[in-house]
Amino acid sequence: MSNEARRRWGRILLILGRLVLAAIFLFAAGAKMKPQAGMPWTAGSVKTSLSMFAMGVDSYQMLPPWAVSPFARLLPPFELLLGLWLLTGVALRISGLLSTVLICAFIIAMYSAYHRGLTISCGCFGPGAQIGPTDLIRDGLLFLPLALAVTIGAFLIRRKRGAPSLPESAPSVTHAD
Amino acid sequence: MIADYVAAGKVYLVHRDFPLPMHKYGYEAARWLNAAARAGQFQNVEAALYDNQNAWAADGNIEKYVAGAMSSAEFKRVQIQMQGCAYPDAAVKPAAFALGGQTGQSCSLDTYIDQDRALGNKIPVQATPTYVITYKGTRLPAGSGLVSWPILKQFFDSLLSQ
Repeated sequence: MSNEARRRWGRILLILGRLVLAAIFLFAAGAKMKPQAGMPWTAGSVKTSLSMFAMGVDSYQMLPPWAVSPFARLLPPFELLLGLWLLTGVALRISGLLSTVLICAFIIAMYSAYHRGLTISCGCFGPGAQIGPTDLIRDGLLFLPLALAVTIGAFLIRRKRGAPSLPESAPSVTHAD
Repeated sequence: MIADYVAAGKVYLVHRDFPLPMHKYGYEAARWLNAAARAGQFQNVEAALYDNQNAWAADGNIEKYVAGAMSSAEFKRVQIQMQGCAYPDAAVKPAAFALGGQTGQSCSLDTYIDQDRALGNKIPVQATPTYVITYKGTRLPAGSGLVSWPILKQFFDSLLSQ
């Protein structure tokens, strides 16, 4: 495969990777913010869903009580913005880096809860089953490598774009075996 | 919650029994609690059983804490409800007792406990504590784990403001 073809495939994979990553964050945000069953889409019902998410955050027993509610109100909108940002592909190095840091934080929180024997729901994609190895494997072996790949890919592409091109007059050596 | 929301009629608190097989005396404690509820002593006995869980879970002497939570006259009323339910000797209780009150005796309280357990299995209850919140007839997804009162209060307030 030529360098050009390899580069093209790299770009395609990077686009796919960031789209999948964006979808993950958008889905996670939507699951936390969507109104509970039977409730219409209103500011009040979204607030109720965020309050319910706060109960999930509190059950991790990691944050001081005063921080639980602000965190629970900020995280889903942040995930939504991050998902949209990844979709646009603008400043992908920064959005990729933020995604990686966020997923790392999720893994640490989940591992901590699992290690302490807390039988709580992950809350990652709304209410669900208890935290277990499946969640850790999903985030650690799927989401984190994906976010890392997108970030590294974004940095590599940027470096290639930023590399100074040689002037036409520069001496060149043609080598043939 | 009971003082601020239940007493004011804003929230209905429904207690459900879900004695677990690994807790040897859990089923018997549920019987005592149901008997106390029938005699109008639910809150006192529930508090006494929670406060002394380590003690009665070790020796099975639940009756001592139930009796200590009320006057002797009230305790007699609870004992009447427990007729046919109390196992004579906690120390020689068969293991099957802990699994579902299969003592060979007829205990009318078991019906309530078993109904609650069936409901819990439907959810399904997987953790202690598990809470299920129903709002305007719609059951919200079950939650588990400790939730501090200010956070739970905030959730109730957001529901009540709908």
